Amino acid sequence: MDIKEYIESGVLEAYALGALPADEAARVQADLARNPELAAELAAIEETMYQFAANNAQEPPAGMAERIWATIDATGREQTEKPAARTIPVGSSYSTRWNMAAMWAALVISLAGNALFWYRNSEQKREYVAQTTRMEQMATDINSLAGTIDEYRKNKAMMADTGMQTVVMHTMQPGHPMAATLFWSKQNGDAYVSIDALPEPPKGMQYQLWVMQDGKPVDMGVLPTGMANTPAIQKVNMKVMEGQAFAISLEKQGGSPTPTMQNIYVMGKPA
Amino acid sequence: MLLLLKGRSREAFDQLYRQYSAVLYGVVLKVISDDHTAQDVLQEAFVKIWNNIEQYDTAKGRIYTWMMNIARNAAIDKLRSRGEIMKGKIQTGDDVVNNTAQRGMRTEQVTDAIGLRKVVSALKPDYEVIVDLAYFKGYTLDEISRTLNIPLGTVKTRMRAAMQQLREVYNR
Repeated sequence: MDIKEYIESGVLEAYALGALPADEAARVQADLARNPELAAELAAIEETMYQFAANNAQEPPAGMAERIWATIDATGREQTEKPAARTIPVGSSYSTRWNMAAMWAALVISLAGNALFWYRNSEQKREYVAQTTRMEQMATDINSLAGTIDEYRKNKAMMADTGMQTVVMHTMQPGHPMAATLFWSKQNGDAYVSIDALPEPPKGMQYQLWVMQDGKPVDMGVLPTGMANTPAIQKVNMKVMEGQAFAISLEKQGGSPTPTMQNIYVMGKPA
Repeated sequence: MLLLLKGRSREAFDQLYRQYSAVLYGVVLKVISDDHTAQDVLQEAFVKIWNNIEQYDTAKGRIYTWMMNIARNAAIDKLRSRGEIMKGKIQTGDDVVNNTAQRGMRTEQVTDAIGLRKVVSALKPDYEVIVDLAYFKGYTLDEISRTLNIPLGTVKTRMRAAMQQLREVYNR
């Protein structure tokens, strides 16, 4: 809204003079509430109107105020005596008016209370939904934490196994610093692998773990996609009783019977 | 003050009367020249103000403006009920201008001592007729537009220009 244009249009003058239709007056009132500049202009217009009338002021005759009060009291009594004739005990017009005022006040307070309760109720519903969502989120978090803790517990048990040795597999691709770790217990043949320092495999590809036994690569299984680049440790699904080296290669989904030589990413030898 | 009024404090209402009765009486006299009728109207206006004080809202403007509109409308209603005015609504623009000029002469006799005519006659006649219709006859913009046969936008801008002139007079 262009304030200057708004003011120049003369609509505020018309508003002050009560010369606008009700809907337009309501719009102007809303504009005034939003805009202090318009309100200031209206104040100036009203002051001018007041001055204009004040220049023409005429003292009303003495006794006018008393006549006004007499009329107010008379009409007040008229209004209140009608119901009094039925059941309501006759009070002074003044106290009845106060009673009316009290009733209205009570009604207004009650309505305001209803509105407040309604508002609070809907507020609480919104809050409830938000809380429920948060609780669900927390439950998910706890589950995943429990999984992680479980993982750590297994890892700890595994690490605590004194027969467990760590085989670090280093990169076989010059220029690509990659690594993976194999935990292997020669005594019971348990093996675990972590590929936290390998890149995510491309779509349709999967890492496959190999052990060199008597100079030949033996399949130790494919590693789940999504495991790379995470600290997850995966137990190997076979007993590895011997091995001269371990290696991981990138193979097509599901694995290969023999490793693709140029795709061997990392390799390491046990102590 | 307003809180007292809305709480129906008689003292506050008395003060309101002391403060504004003369100005409002002046407004009523602009519409109705007969003293007795004007006094009746002023009385009715103050009773209305007392009865409707809850409807006044500071967001609408200052209390004088609200009271002025009540007093003026009461005066117009009185004339209307007597059939003395509002023929104006079917009058031609020329008639209204002529009537305004005539009535202007009447008020001149009444109020010249206070110098109002000097102020109003500082206005261009085009402006004066609009101020007169809106301020003292309670015409809506639409009615002014139709009565004077000038576009609504022009009515508004002339009203604006008239107020600007008056403002200059008072701020001098």
